[in-house]
Amino acid sequence: MSGRALRTVLPGLLLIAALALLAASLPAFGASRYAQTLVYYLAYDIVLGQSWNLMSGMTGYVSFAHGALAGLGAYATVIAMNAGWPVPAALAGGCLASVAGSFVVGASSLRLRGVAFTFATLFFQQLALLILRKLPLSGGPGGLALQDILPLALPQILMVALAALATAGVLILRRSRLGIRLLAIREDEDAAAALGIGVTRLKLGVFCASAAIAGAAGAAHGLFTASLYPDDVFSVDVSLTALAVPMIGGMATAGGPVAGAALLVGIGELLQIFAPSLHLVVIGALLLAVVLFMPRGLLPFLAAPLRRLSAAPQPAAERGTAP
Amino acid sequence: MTLLDLRDVTKRFGGLQAVGGVSLGVVQGEVLGLFGPNGAGKTTLFNLIAGSFPPDAGSIRFAGQDVTRLPAWRRARLGLARTFQVTRPFRDLTARENVLAAVPRRGSTTPAAPAARLLAEVGLDGRADDRAGDLTLGMLKRLEVARALATDPLLLLLDEPLAGLTGREAADLLALVVRLKSRLGIVIVEHNVRQCLPVCDRAVVMEGGVVIASGLPDAIRTDPRVIRAYLGQEAAE
Ligand SMILES: Nc1ncnc2c1ncn2[C@@H]1O[C@H](COP(=O)(O)OP(=O)(O)OP(=O)(O)O)[C@@H](O)[C@H]1O
Ligand SMILES: [Mg+2]
Repeated sequence: MSGRALRTVLPGLLLIAALALLAASLPAFGASRYAQTLVYYLAYDIVLGQSWNLMSGMTGYVSFAHGALAGLGAYATVIAMNAGWPVPAALAGGCLASVAGSFVVGASSLRLRGVAFTFATLFFQQLALLILRKLPLSGGPGGLALQDILPLALPQILMVALAALATAGVLILRRSRLGIRLLAIREDEDAAAALGIGVTRLKLGVFCASAAIAGAAGAAHGLFTASLYPDDVFSVDVSLTALAVPMIGGMATAGGPVAGAALLVGIGELLQIFAPSLHLVVIGALLLAVVLFMPRGLLPFLAAPLRRLSAAPQPAAERGTAP
Repeated sequence: MTLLDLRDVTKRFGGLQAVGGVSLGVVQGEVLGLFGPNGAGKTTLFNLIAGSFPPDAGSIRFAGQDVTRLPAWRRARLGLARTFQVTRPFRDLTARENVLAAVPRRGSTTPAAPAARLLAEVGLDGRADDRAGDLTLGMLKRLEVARALATDPLLLLLDEPLAGLTGREAADLLALVVRLKSRLGIVIVEHNVRQCLPVCDRAVVMEGGVVIASGLPDAIRTDPRVIRAYLGQEAAE
């Protein structure tokens, strides 16, 4: 990326680094266990959301499989850990398992346009659950436990680092030619192809990259929970969270999923106290409201009037993106 | 150097033969005018050359290579660029981003022209940061050209680039075509034959999917078959 583009993302990168450092040093400040857990789930939702954002927010191809991709990462990592692999290798194995899954789904469906991919991801999400329930390797319906429990600080710091990296990655991508090409695919695939963009390959490549992030989130989460039950890990809830976070906060922006995750975690906590059974209903209503009234998501919706007020013309890549 | 070589290229849509056995060539440094009444098959021919769909019969060679079965994006990487008659901007991206999306041709030796310069060349400087969806039709037509040029093409297919442009803008665009042609080959489809013909080195006239006349612009102007095809439109000229 050019020097000019780098300068436009630098403040954002510094902000991300500062927030991540703050989040990672919560225990040192003596933050409560509750606060630490809250921050952990915030980071988890950000990673899931950014991973979905990378594929679906940028290219417009809606995925319902990001929960299953994260689940694959979790299972592969815990299985590898139990087989005695060192943590970094186990994490890498988790990412790889997700990438392999995404490759199968993507290679079979991204040649086609429109909803074929979405149906393929839904199918994959359900298939993964069925297989993991039956497979002896994964402990069947009874689940799988991590044999050597690690200090919680490890997955916590890991998740915060992943959130920071994923957000920084989307921020840089949004200002790069590669990011522009992904958006071009979302806008018009024929016009993109006419400009030399290898549409199918690029979609597949970005889906695999997105799966690597989802897999990393799942892997870290596997270390955090230390026990995996197929019905939880492959519940469609995780896929819905990955989708709701950027859709609510703002798609194809770096800040949107951060705002979306904060909102969802906040609402989740409030509902936990007042009406635990209403969680999915409220998320559903929120998604509906966003789709109806602010299709670009919360941050772009809030930013639009500010932009109209400021007379100064905006730099090119600034448009439609969150700070 | 022969850039493009079409042999008996045919395309049917159901029962309709949109392009029926067209053969033509384009060499570097020339502007070929492609004319013909509505429905003559001009855009379909562009789609076949650019690789939107394969022909039912015939072959297409480009830059010394058989590209008949090559997908559109690979042809673009070889240096084949086209604009769309019905403009297809990336609406949610800025004009600059529309240009930045283009992938330069493989083996492109001239360093990629900065987006700002390409936009200036089509008179869109000052619009670089506008959302493409907010531009007028005339601006979008010119954005198509800037975007195509951003691939550093060897051959440029322009499908009715003057439609929606003011007289002044059209003259500027034709001047750009003349400036560009030393470096590349250009095929230009236009309904405004009178305005376009002076920049053409050769012309081909299609009707009903077949070539009914081809040759130097002056010969085309007076060809009785052409006058008949354009009866009511251009016959008076
Ligand atoms: N995708 C398509 N499916 C079916 N028929 C098509 C398709 N594209 C073009 N046609 C038909 O093929 C014929 C040639 O159309 P084409 O668009 O190539 O003509 P044209 O010379 O570009 O006309 P115009 O000057 O109006 O742009 C027309 O009868 C048109 O209706
Ligand atoms: Mg046409």
